Amino acid sequence: MAFMKITSPHAHSPGNTGDVMKQVILACIPGLVILSYFFGPGTLINVVMASFTAVVCEAAVLKLRNRPIEFYIKDYSAVLTGVLLGLALPPYCPWWIVAIGSASAIILAKQLYGGMGYNPFNPAMVGYVILLISFPVEMTQWAPPRPLLEGGQALMGPMAALQQIWLGVSVDGYTAATPLDVFKQNEGKLLLENMYREAPIFSNGSWAGAGFEWANLGFLAGGGYLLYKKIFTWHTPVSMLATIVIMSFIFYDGGSSNSGGSATFHLFSGATMLGAFFIATDPVSSAVSTRGRLVYGAGIGLLIYLIRVWGNYPDAVAFAVLLMNFAAPFIDHYTLPRTYGHEQSRRATEKQE
Amino acid sequence: MSDNSTPYNEITANGLWKNNPALVQLLGLCPLLAVSASVVNALGLGLATILVLVGSNIAVSLIRKAVSDAVRLPVFVMIIASFTTCTELLMKAYTFELYQILGIFIPLIVTNCAILGRADAFASKNDVLPSALDGFMMGLGFTLVLITVGSIREVIGHGTLFADMHLLLGDIASGWTLNIMGEDYPGMLVAVLPPGAFIVVGFLIALKHVIDKKLEEKVKAKAAPVVKGSKRVRTTGTIT
Amino acid sequence: MNQIWPLPGGVHPEENKAQSMQLPLGEISLPSEMVYPLNQHIGAPAKAIVAVGEQVLTGQLIATARGMISANIHASTSGTVSAIESRQLPHPSGMNGPCIVLTPDGKDESIDFERNENYLELERDELLEKIRNAGITGMGGAGFPTAVKLNPRDEISTLIINGTECEPYITADDMLMQTRADDLIKGTQLLAHLLGNPERALKRVVIGIEDNKPDAIAAVKAAAKETNVEVATFPTRYPSGGEKQLIYILTGQEVPSGQLPASIGIVLQNVGTTVAALEAVRDGKPLIERITTVVGKSLGTQRNIRVKLGTPIQHVLKEHAFNEREASRLIVGGPMMGFALEQDAAPVIKSTNCILAPSKQELPDPPPAQACIRCGMCAEACPASLLPQQMYWYTMAEDYDKLEAHNIRDCIECGACSFVCPSNIPLVQYYRAAKGTMRQIAIDKEKSDRSRQRFEFRQERMAKAELEKEAKRAARKLAAEAAKKKMAEAKASAIDATDSDDPAAAAVARAKAKQLSPEEQKGKLERALSSAQSRLEKAQARLAEADEERKPQLESKLKQAELKVQESLKKLKDLDLNGDNTATSNNTVETNEVDPNDPVAVAIARAKAKMNMDPREKLEANIESLKKRLGTAEEKLAVAQAEGSDTAAALQTGLEKIKGKITTVELELAALPQNSAKPETAPIEQDAASVAIERAKAKAAASASMSPEEKMREQVASMEKRLEKAKERLKKAETEDDKNVEAFRSATQKLEDKLAAARGELEALN
Repeated sequence: MAFMKITSPHAHSPGNTGDVMKQVILACIPGLVILSYFFGPGTLINVVMASFTAVVCEAAVLKLRNRPIEFYIKDYSAVLTGVLLGLALPPYCPWWIVAIGSASAIILAKQLYGGMGYNPFNPAMVGYVILLISFPVEMTQWAPPRPLLEGGQALMGPMAALQQIWLGVSVDGYTAATPLDVFKQNEGKLLLENMYREAPIFSNGSWAGAGFEWANLGFLAGGGYLLYKKIFTWHTPVSMLATIVIMSFIFYDGGSSNSGGSATFHLFSGATMLGAFFIATDPVSSAVSTRGRLVYGAGIGLLIYLIRVWGNYPDAVAFAVLLMNFAAPFIDHYTLPRTYGHEQSRRATEKQE
Repeated sequence: MSDNSTPYNEITANGLWKNNPALVQLLGLCPLLAVSASVVNALGLGLATILVLVGSNIAVSLIRKAVSDAVRLPVFVMIIASFTTCTELLMKAYTFELYQILGIFIPLIVTNCAILGRADAFASKNDVLPSALDGFMMGLGFTLVLITVGSIREVIGHGTLFADMHLLLGDIASGWTLNIMGEDYPGMLVAVLPPGAFIVVGFLIALKHVIDKKLEEKVKAKAAPVVKGSKRVRTTGTIT
Repeated sequence: MNQIWPLPGGVHPEENKAQSMQLPLGEISLPSEMVYPLNQHIGAPAKAIVAVGEQVLTGQLIATARGMISANIHASTSGTVSAIESRQLPHPSGMNGPCIVLTPDGKDESIDFERNENYLELERDELLEKIRNAGITGMGGAGFPTAVKLNPRDEISTLIINGTECEPYITADDMLMQTRADDLIKGTQLLAHLLGNPERALKRVVIGIEDNKPDAIAAVKAAAKETNVEVATFPTRYPSGGEKQLIYILTGQEVPSGQLPASIGIVLQNVGTTVAALEAVRDGKPLIERITTVVGKSLGTQRNIRVKLGTPIQHVLKEHAFNEREASRLIVGGPMMGFALEQDAAPVIKSTNCILAPSKQELPDPPPAQACIRCGMCAEACPASLLPQQMYWYTMAEDYDKLEAHNIRDCIECGACSFVCPSNIPLVQYYRAAKGTMRQIAIDKEKSDRSRQRFEFRQERMAKAELEKEAKRAARKLAAEAAKKKMAEAKASAIDATDSDDPAAAAVARAKAKQLSPEEQKGKLERALSSAQSRLEKAQARLAEADEERKPQLESKLKQAELKVQESLKKLKDLDLNGDNTATSNNTVETNEVDPNDPVAVAIARAKAKMNMDPREKLEANIESLKKRLGTAEEKLAVAQAEGSDTAAALQTGLEKIKGKITTVELELAALPQNSAKPETAPIEQDAASVAIERAKAKAAASASMSPEEKMREQVASMEKRLEKAKERLKKAETEDDKNVEAFRSATQKLEDKLAAARGELEALN
């Protein structure tokens, strides 16, 4: 009688990579719900369209590469990339923006590098940056949040939304600057105190800008869920947020017109929380050891703050993440953990010198 | 010096396809990436490069026996620089706007490795006529790739094709502009920026590989039956 | 007390321990055949001492340990040895190996075991001997001979008894602790006695048990009351039962990478081993049975059994209603580190703690591996704080430098990383492969290093030999020329050779004058002697540098050369004696037979003569050369040790050999009767014998590059020195009224003559 020969370990924990991805997608739901509540169905449509495009592109490339399509689609990584890109895009942007972004994310940033597990850069952020530098106008038009709507204006309904997205029938005046835009344009003009009072996006908000503050809170909740589920460790998000807080304290300067903005403002506006818990924690393109992830997260936080306050773009999560993706292998070489039985940690490159 | 006489069709095939300076040798990437944002730029630089390449190849071939190995590179560079200056002056005279758009990249033709490479690898070892042909074909191959990259980037980046051709070809070309993507095309800036050039060239190289592979398979398929009846594999019986 | 250091990493696989603890400890029937692999342990395989057809009794020794790290094997039941042949082993590779096969007679007759209740009064060595004889090896998995582990060179401060049993499914140790807690404590005290006795610094004795075995903890705690044995419990987490992990959990210390626990003063033993050691010492019972867990849903009965070692696994399975079609695989050991068997014919051996036959629902076939997304769950789970995902990456890339830097050698292959991997990558398998390749690379590198070293050494030696040859050739040429000249002179002065300054020539002349001696013959003989001597010297030099293997060959050559030298010497002497009765002592004749202008030949001849004279002197010379070799060997060894070279061990043994030789030669020397015939100059001569050759060689080498004038001056100086020595000797002889005085005097006289002649020549040159 011959038995199957398999090497140890024979036991395996339940779950697979697809489950991990599904958990992350699930954790996006609170943020998505809040975004939809404040800005209408635009983001939801983005997410659906982006995931669909991503899956189609993934399947097409896998077919070209002669890989099993179903096996790889089932790991949900393409869907997740689409979801994250959809969340990052401005609501009601034209359909082709979503399609181009999603296609470049999957084809250029992921499959051309070898597919799942081999991409050095976060695909969703590559897609986002390609869109941002190609179509700056479309990419910087955000919808007004619910509290900012004028008396007669209602939140855009699904039909109107689809019309705008697919046919380019735009609703007049249905755009508003984001808190980060307002803040950037205020530079050197009003004291922060006055800006908070006068700009509607701030005066209608509670602590960091109407709508956006809640959306960030939603992503924070989702991130908490993932931490609880041990999908990733706390190191990257915590060090990233902590760096932003420290930088904000250093450059707050009491709230003058040249202030860098308060910590609350930075934490709860733009894509900070989405970036901290869903983008920066993307394992494939980040550093691997716990020490490395601390450095990696801190680098992202620092870059976000630098670009937001002194750079040309109002938000910077995508740029910061991509720049640190570059640095991740380098960080890995110098942040090996101390192994059992060794006095101190080693460097990955020490044998080559 | 014994000139290895490469057949002319071989020279042509090398320049245009097999040993294409842009897609295979990856020489002259700097101008390729920098000025291929539109067809007119690409064509302008391409023509200038052909001019310099043919001129320098002829000149190098003529003097090849008089120049010792030790000083050949400085001499070649001097020759190339002279032709580049001529070209620059010509462009300044006849296509001034284009000259202004291409700017620094015209003088920088001097540093185009493709030109020096051909001078050293081919012209310094061959007769005048093959050298001239080699210079022309290499230049043409380079220009064709430039134009291909330029048109792809122009279409994706601006939605047009052959825009501003009058800068190069004069008034007859003023109406050539085609709005491929329609009037409202917003333009995809990334294609016009350097990353776009890298991506497009990358795809072109991949495409070339795919075509080569297909061709190879075809050749193999054709060659296969011949191998079957080959006498060399016979191990028994008499060879008739 | 009882502080616990939490283990970094670790996982919580489903325990699955309840199913085998429902039934009490069982027994199974005797199989129709028992199989005893000769290698059930780490180390050298045992050597069978029974023959096919021999009757054996239960507990009888059937194979003995071979070397230090090895273990005895005993029959676990009575019967007939039916074969000694290659059978399937319970080994990860599924390989076959030599086994003793026994057909039981069913009577299970036992030899008498030597019981001893007062075992603690025995000598430590006696106890260790008993444990060693009982063939006890580690029963937790690896199977390291226990007696070796209990006799460490380092000072031991802590004894840890491992009752962790962190692998899922296995409950053999749990069962043992519950049923034999008293014996466990006694065994622990025995081991503590061994490690702490006589004057060792054993401070702490602790039994470590995971907190998922409350019954075992209670039983052991009760038994350990009022003893110095500490019972430590800690949270259940795989792999806290790993040796290094348990040490960290209980002491907070880490075993340095690449070292044994004993290096930090800790010895760790499995509970099963501890009880077996007690049985060996107290009951005199060898290791012939053990408790094994038989578990898995494809079995009808799941329980722990007391099983005789050597029982084929298929018999165990049959006794437990095994359903082959249900089973997904057959595992020896637990689901984390156990290995799958392809065949069920392999027997239960000393380290078989579990036989796991899971059903297809229980442990389904692994799904195909997905891409690594570097999620880092493996790094979180790794108990050794490695980065499994990076190691996987570099294994795929075959980047062994990076793997080394990532400490792949410290991977304990516990499988925690593979267990948690969401992409189902068999990580441990990759590391095993990489480690194997790295080992092979290291071996290959060492091999090539060694051959390169050998090559370089050979080159050097050849160059040196070439140089020496060159020098000798030059010397010989010079000598030949001089001889020719001398010969011509001798011929010329043959008629009135009365005051020739060359005694040899004088002798020849005299001989010629007195008797018609064939002059040519003598010249020929002289040349033959000189060439034979040079050959002899060459052979000796080569012998001194030769490897051990080539030595006999060279020695025979040397013998030949020596014989030839002696032969020619004899012939020459006969010739001389025939021709001239006034020949002086042997010594001087020889010195003079050789051309005096060639210092090399002179020195060598003198040395040769001395060495050939007397067995005693030969021995002394032998000692001298051996000592020299010892010196160089010691130097080499020191260098090798300083460089941590692997050849150090080989050199060490070589050194030992030389030392041994020296002592034997010295003994021989002592055994020889003191040779009274030898004058007191013997020691000086003995010294000179070996040194002179060297000196002569050096001189020859030096003279090769000197002008004739310088050479001459050198010669004069050396002659002066020799003269002085000779005078001294003469004086001594005179004061002591030695009978050799005459000989000394004439020698001194001759030297003076020679010196005068040389001075004259020097002046002539100037």
